[in-house]
Amino acid sequence: MATETDHGPGEAVAARIERRWATLSIVIVGVLVGMAAYIGIHQATMPQGRVETADPKTLHLSGEFIESNLGSEMQADGSVTVRAIGQQYSFTPQCIVVPAETPITFRATSADVVHGFLIEGTNINTMLVPGYVTDLPVRFKTPGDHVMPCQEFCGIGHQGMWGKVKVVDKSKFRDMAAAKRRLTCVD
Amino acid sequence: MSDQPLFSVRNPWFGISVGVTAAIAVLSAVAGLIWLPLAQPDLKLAGVWDAICSAAGVPRAAVQEASIKPDFKTSNVVMTSEMLTKADQVSIGRGATLAQRCAICHGPQGVSDAHSPNLAGQFAAVTYKELNDFKTGARVSVVMSPFAAAMSDQDMKDVAAYYAFLPRVPSNSLDTGRPAPAVVVTGAPMRNIPPCGSCHGDIDNKAGSPWLGGQSAVYIKAQIEAFASGARRNDISEQMRNIARQMTAEEIDQVAHYYEAQP
Ligand code: HEC
Ligand code: HEC
Ligand SMILES: [Cu+2]
Repeated sequence: MATETDHGPGEAVAARIERRWATLSIVIVGVLVGMAAYIGIHQATMPQGRVETADPKTLHLSGEFIESNLGSEMQADGSVTVRAIGQQYSFTPQCIVVPAETPITFRATSADVVHGFLIEGTNINTMLVPGYVTDLPVRFKTPGDHVMPCQEFCGIGHQGMWGKVKVVDKSKFRDMAAAKRRLTCVD
Repeated sequence: MSDQPLFSVRNPWFGISVGVTAAIAVLSAVAGLIWLPLAQPDLKLAGVWDAICSAAGVPRAAVQEASIKPDFKTSNVVMTSEMLTKADQVSIGRGATLAQRCAICHGPQGVSDAHSPNLAGQFAAVTYKELNDFKTGARVSVVMSPFAAAMSDQDMKDVAAYYAFLPRVPSNSLDTGRPAPAVVVTGAPMRNIPPCGSCHGDIDNKAGSPWLGGQSAVYIKAQIEAFASGARRNDISEQMRNIARQMTAEEIDQVAHYYEAQP
């Protein structure tokens, strides 16, 4: 050990300051980690918890994205699952119908290139990446109509690519779901 | 300062800072990889290891729940942009022989003067897909379906290669000076209609979109109306029905005559 005698009061001050700054930076790191954790649990939009794959070329042959399985499905627990695909240059179903005040899970994917999935007037904004399933839990507060434009340039017809989202009253949706197992508002 | 080495376990500054950094890393990892995933009820995780894998982004195939099966036939063709783009002479030769049966309606040169569609110069992938759909019943035509029913997969590829090899022949109504309707070049973005040319050629070609130039206006109109009404639904995932449904009767008429006048 070096001798203490040749250290003046300067070193004690330096050590104290250094300890304080170190503590402060640890606190900042701790707050940032805590903030990320809090947002992860309590805020609506968070990164998807699972990476699921689906072959874009064979979506129409089997699995959950075949044409007849697309649309809104009422689950036994009262929640609603909506399945959709994005393709050059439209969404199928072209018009999605969902109930207000109900937990909803969007499950969507792309059949060709990267498309955007954005519902105007809400914080729903994600991407549909070929090969992967986008799974997004959402909730609409009030009935109303929204547009759903593709916001990711996907080719020369991109500007014509958008869908509609119709949020209807919960009881009205329940009546519709009693008559049909996959709902859409395509006329 | 002292001559004590900086990076040494005997240096308390060093020990404490490394220790604190490691502790933060471990706590964050536990929070991010285990606690947060488990706190999400929607994820339905099977345990700690599943939580770690899902948070780390290990991909897995989507769970196949029972899906609603269609009550009509849909196309089972897997369409790619490379499909049948390399023609070989043997295939074209076989196709020429097979195509003799088709000549009464589609014309000896693949150009029909009735309202059967022209096949000369059509993309091979398109002819193959349509034949396959007629065969499986995804596309129905009382006139055409019986001719596809007996064809083997190789027959369909050969005929497709043969017709793709034949040169396109313009129709009698050829008029290259005819102005293109707005819906062909710009689409109608406010009604979810992309430009026809972004898939059917001239601007871009999406795999599986037929060449429409020189096709009879009667045929084009009938097909768009069939897509709009749902009478024809062999287009994969509704890519053409979504468009046809939004078109006005006037637009359908315009595009039919426009494409008929194109080479
Ligand atoms: C009796 C007349 C007839 C014969 C023979 C016939 N076709 Fe057709 N074909 C039609 C008609 C009519 C249509 C249009 C069907 C519709 O309106 O949906 C058609 C449609 C097609 C199409 C779809 C074209 C497109 O652009 O979508 C293909 C491909 C085709 N035929 C190939 C053949 C081949 C190959 C043969 C011979 C093996 C054949 N056809 C024999 C009448 C015929
Ligand atoms: C997103 C790409 C896309 C756009 C945009 C598009 N189509 Fe199509 N269209 C297709 C595909 C793919 C098919 C073939 C469907 C199938 O698999 O049978 C098709 C088929 C057709 C057919 C039937 C042709 C035949 O020979 O069977 C007609 C007619 C047609 N489209 C007209 C139009 C018109 C008019 C427009 C513009 C308003 C348009 N399409 C825009 C992709 C597109
Ligand atoms: Cu897009």
